[in-house]
Amino acid sequence: MANLLLFIETKDKEPKKASLELLGEAGRLKAAGRYKIHAVVMGGMSEDAKKKALTYVDVLVNITDPVLDQYTPEGFALALAGYAKEINPQVVLASATQLGRDFLPRVAVLLGSGVASDVTEIRWSEDPITFVRPIYGGRVLSEISFTGYPAVVTVRPNTFAGEEPGTENGEYLERQGGIAPEQLKTRVIKTEESGKGKVNLIEADIIVAGGRGLKSAENFRVLEDLANTIGAAVGAARSVVDAKWRDQEDQVGKSGKTVSPKLYIAVGISGAIHHTMGMDTSKLVLAVNTDPNAMIFSYADYGIVGDFAQVVPAMTEEFKKRLGR
Amino acid sequence: MNIVVLAKQIPDAEAHIDIGNDEKGLTIEQKFTANVFDEFAMEEALRLKEKHGGKVKVITLGAGKATEVLRTGIAMGADEVLLLEDGAFLNGDGYTTALALSRAAALEPFDVILCGRQAIDDDRGEVGPMVAQFLGIPHGGGITKLDVADGNATIECPVEGAKETIEVNLPAVFTAQKGLNEPRVPPIMGVMKAMKATIPRVTPADLGISPEEAGASGSKVKTGRYFHPKKRAAVQMIPGEPNEAAVEAVRILMDVERIL
Ligand SMILES: Cc1cc2nc3c(=O)[nH]c(=O)nc-3n(C[C@H](O)[C@H](O)[C@H](O)COP(=O)(O)OP(=O)(O)OC[C@H]3O[C@@H](n4cnc5c(N)ncnc54)[C@H](O)[C@@H]3O)c2cc1C
Repeated sequence: MANLLLFIETKDKEPKKASLELLGEAGRLKAAGRYKIHAVVMGGMSEDAKKKALTYVDVLVNITDPVLDQYTPEGFALALAGYAKEINPQVVLASATQLGRDFLPRVAVLLGSGVASDVTEIRWSEDPITFVRPIYGGRVLSEISFTGYPAVVTVRPNTFAGEEPGTENGEYLERQGGIAPEQLKTRVIKTEESGKGKVNLIEADIIVAGGRGLKSAENFRVLEDLANTIGAAVGAARSVVDAKWRDQEDQVGKSGKTVSPKLYIAVGISGAIHHTMGMDTSKLVLAVNTDPNAMIFSYADYGIVGDFAQVVPAMTEEFKKRLGR
Repeated sequence: MNIVVLAKQIPDAEAHIDIGNDEKGLTIEQKFTANVFDEFAMEEALRLKEKHGGKVKVITLGAGKATEVLRTGIAMGADEVLLLEDGAFLNGDGYTTALALSRAAALEPFDVILCGRQAIDDDRGEVGPMVAQFLGIPHGGGITKLDVADGNATIECPVEGAKETIEVNLPAVFTAQKGLNEPRVPPIMGVMKAMKATIPRVTPADLGISPEEAGASGSKVKTGRYFHPKKRAAVQMIPGEPNEAAVEAVRILMDVERIL
């Protein structure tokens, strides 16, 4: 049976949501008898997370070099590629998070392979396996395949159906990556947390995004309230990032982030193509705008013509009532 | 200091894109622009040179309109340009593109390679990290600050929910993103100079790459077909006073779409 290798990204020793999605998909492939599943984690997971991961995979490998306690693209690439060389997987799978997209290309070169980046569909039963990825800001989809294996692939968060409880238990291994500190020419000096507890935009299930229609930085409070009520991340159009109402980190669009949540609520955003390029693969879009002719309505499933200052707080109240919060 | 910029000319975001009947090719309206992230890379290269001396060389791979990004580079203040132009280079994937660009960058000793975080046409975001790996040097991805001193660079990279300060030994590759700087508008004298500049070209052989390793032949990833995403159904407007519309929207999201 061919091997499949997953990279599990953790934060504070817990797998990130996007990695749980990969585990869910791996569990389904394992149950179908398609692959022997190997998963690599750097620097360990909590006991609970480990137990859970072991129900989805055949082998869970914790690579424990001290240099891997902090992410560096060189270190993570050497460690993941090192394990891949041992088991010769058909596919190496990671999430297309900032981190995944940063180091998987290096893994590919180390393995003499290319990458399929930010994939939104995988057709496992085709030969060769077909990967679908959006190009031109999602206006076109391309079907791609590899001329040889291993295929190195990053998958856009929210691509795979959620996890289902796994059953069988896999094997847990600890090992060293054999990476000497001198091999790394990158050192993390400091990390400043900028938004603790904030829902990560790229992985979020729901995003509430605001544009210039919000009129001021203070008015984003209205969106924060809605976001907090429904567990959403807050995104922004470039206009409000340039006006310094929001951080660059929050920007959705061509020169910002590409997101694909289950629900995208666009508030006071006109819907310029540079913005929609970053959110058009959202599963469901609700737009709130005072202008009935705003372009954003062409990219939306539902629309409300109205002033954000009236519509959004009323939505928040109604959600609170219905969710009992 | 020798600074190399890898830059790409790409279709404008508003250019029309048609998929051919055989679904194998794209017809793209001839409206082009420099990749937005590459402009940040270009600007940063010029600022490094202004501070530390040395030269800036802009390299691109492509044909036809590809030269425009090199002329933009000259107009902004780059000293040298290089075009990787040959039939064998075309239709490659990230791997062959990065292989060719890494060889071209290494034709002369360099300290810093700057490029964009990703090209927003094919959105691969692979070239920077791959070039670094081909050259066996470190990279910093999506940087918003770059300081160079004594053979090291200190960079800032926003990562999820945090800002990291990282030190990297040079030579290294850095991929630029918005927030790094404001690209300058080329002065008119620069634009005139750029129009007249001759553009040196190299072929795969000049880079020690066999035709089989270049472009489409060397690609590890092949495109089978293109298609359009499923169209969203026409928008359903939710009528009523703001309050009513809001309550109805929540009902739809929860009871019909079952999002929460
Ligand atoms: C190279 C390049 C890259 C770019 N990259 C990006 C990018 O990554 N992301 C991005 O977003 N943009 C990007 N842009 C900018 C983009 O073209 C638009 O200018 C921008 O998206 C507009 O932002 P906006 O919708 O917030 O503002 P506006 O276009 O000003 O729209 C504001 C909207 O708010 C509505 N409104 C006003 N008052 C209210 C109210 N009280 N209640 C509700 N609605 C109200 C208005 O009707 C209007 O539709 C880029 C542009 C370029 C040239």
